[in-house]
Amino acid sequence: MLRLRASRGSLGTERAQEALAGYSFIAIPMMLFLVFNIGSLIYSAYISLWRWEILGPTDFLGFRNYAFILRDEVFHTAIKNSAYYTVIVVPIQMALGLLLAVTVNQIWRGRSFFRAAFYFPAIASSAAITVLYIYIMNPDGLFNHLLQLIGINPFGFHNQGNWLGHQDTALNSIIALNAWTTSGTMMLFYLGALTAIPTEVYEAARVDGAGPWTQFRRITFPMLAPAHYLVAVTSVIGALQMFDQAIIAGGADGNPNYSLMTVVLYLYNAAFRQFEFGYAAAVGIVLFIIIFSATLIQRRFFGSSDWAEAR
Amino acid sequence: MRRLLFLAASAALVLQACGGGGGGSSNFDASKVSGTVILSGWQASPEEGVALKAALDGFKATYPKINVDYQPVAGDYPTAMVAKFSAKQPPDVFYVDSGVAPDWIKQGVLQSLDDWSSSRGFDTSQFYSGYLNAFKGTDGKTYGYPKDGNTLGMAYNPDMLAAAGVQPPTTYDEMVTVGAALKAKGMIAYSMSPSLDRILAFIYGDGGSLLSSDKKSDAIDKPGFKEALNFYLNLFKQGYAKTPSDLGVDWNGKALGEKKVAIIFEGGWLDSYMHGTFPSVPYKWVEMPKGSAGKSTLAFTVSYSIGKDSPHPDAAWLLLTYLTGKDGMTLWTQGGVANPSRKDVAAPAGKEVLVSSASFAHPWSFIPGFSKVNDAFNNAFTGALQGNGSADTIISKTKQALDQQLNQP
Repeated sequence: MLRLRASRGSLGTERAQEALAGYSFIAIPMMLFLVFNIGSLIYSAYISLWRWEILGPTDFLGFRNYAFILRDEVFHTAIKNSAYYTVIVVPIQMALGLLLAVTVNQIWRGRSFFRAAFYFPAIASSAAITVLYIYIMNPDGLFNHLLQLIGINPFGFHNQGNWLGHQDTALNSIIALNAWTTSGTMMLFYLGALTAIPTEVYEAARVDGAGPWTQFRRITFPMLAPAHYLVAVTSVIGALQMFDQAIIAGGADGNPNYSLMTVVLYLYNAAFRQFEFGYAAAVGIVLFIIIFSATLIQRRFFGSSDWAEAR
Repeated sequence: MRRLLFLAASAALVLQACGGGGGGSSNFDASKVSGTVILSGWQASPEEGVALKAALDGFKATYPKINVDYQPVAGDYPTAMVAKFSAKQPPDVFYVDSGVAPDWIKQGVLQSLDDWSSSRGFDTSQFYSGYLNAFKGTDGKTYGYPKDGNTLGMAYNPDMLAAAGVQPPTTYDEMVTVGAALKAKGMIAYSMSPSLDRILAFIYGDGGSLLSSDKKSDAIDKPGFKEALNFYLNLFKQGYAKTPSDLGVDWNGKALGEKKVAIIFEGGWLDSYMHGTFPSVPYKWVEMPKGSAGKSTLAFTVSYSIGKDSPHPDAAWLLLTYLTGKDGMTLWTQGGVANPSRKDVAAPAGKEVLVSSASFAHPWSFIPGFSKVNDAFNNAFTGALQGNGSADTIISKTKQALDQQLNQP
């Protein structure tokens, strides 16, 4: 190292060269990120100020698109649905993910089998799974048959056994679907963090007479704080962007009775069914602000400094 | 005899068209037009590909100097076309669905055809007006000619009706009687979609309408609208009708095929489905039942239109008028993949009811931004059906959405 440094001259030049090499490695991904992420974000913000249709901008509207969004009842419903969905699905995903991770972590034989099995729904195409799910939840479907087998008559319910077709049960049915399909991903995040907890801590706890529940409550759960943050942030972002399951199960119009209208579906409608790209861009910016604020709040709540410390 | 008359009429028309073309005021000479035109659309089945090829071969024989580059679009057609419009590179001739036509006309991506049709002598009077009017803009100009068309008819299972001892209903009142008769035998009479693209046929039947005739204001409060809604809702309340979703099927056709119901209201697309999936289930077509204001149905159609600023307007015009003219449309529809939108092209066998219903059909084409109105109606209707609202709620929600679109600058 010393010889190298000597041959290349001063410390400053070497650092500069190292930095240059580093930057050149990240140059391409950074450029893509700047153009396609930051660039399109800025461009969307610009588009959102215009009446922008198929052939491009026609009138400058200022913030009138935003004013219109905030007045539209369907958008209110979309926000309500997305918020309800997020508030219910995220804790379930986290709890399921944690439960699976802790379980898999304690299995020694066939651990990779269970890990793969639990992760499988997350890698299967969500469109394919949703179509299957529609069949399962159909009035004639497997779910109602199972209910009948255990002596429950689903057709006596308020929704007449039409889980995805009734306004009172459609969104909750999608929540059940997504809690299942995404918990595998959450499990992987938690598994990674679980292996990072030093075994000495558990040994010390056992010496002090702590049982499994106490160990979980006092050691595992708090030491997973950085993972909680990561899992919460990713699942909140994913939940607020829910679109595919809604459009496949309910159609583009968000039926039954707008119960499957989400913010992204609303955006899709504005862009590709009403051809109002300026308005759709404004919806995108509103969604960005919501997601960004939600992430900041979670950062406050879980604290991000723990993440660095735990690594 | 009918066929002979038909041939005579069409020969007269061709002569007239040719005469008009030759003596038109412009210097347009069809025989001198050459070049390559790009044709785009979607393809619903391999049979459609065969029928279109037959029509294009006919075009090539008539205009050997013009090449047609056929580029079908797979997947989401409106989205793919919007990308082409935005890039200012649309095909020369392409499909436009009647539902999306008002939006595309308003956005100025389609070429108005009136000047050409008058100067070059293309006779549009043979199109059923229910189809042709779907492509008229608010300026009264025409932006596409219907390549074919479909109406809603009533398809019923004769065995099931016979088992209940009833004839197919011909009026809305009889629909109730038939519903009750089947219910008494433990059957469900109707599978009916909770959506405007079916219910509107009944609204027109009772004299109601969404829009005034100039499409400038809403007409929801006029009599007929609420009556039809209540009639339709009542069929569900009485247990005479169920939605496809409540029957556990994805559309009405499947409910008929699986004999879950005796009667549905659909269009010609039912035929290929029934022949392919339920070949042994009997069904027959009759006209939609009559409401208090008389016969009515909905016309769904797709046009051939020309992109604004097409680089080959003359060749595009010739292709468009050939495909929507008598000869092209005969080649396109004779195999039964589609129903003709012209009165001078004979209906394929088995499609007579659906073709002749076009004479009292209302086009499925409204105002720009209509998808929002459609969604408002459908969601409010499902809400009412599931105990959350009534005909009045549906009316007020639809009116609100409609007025919002009408008042947009």
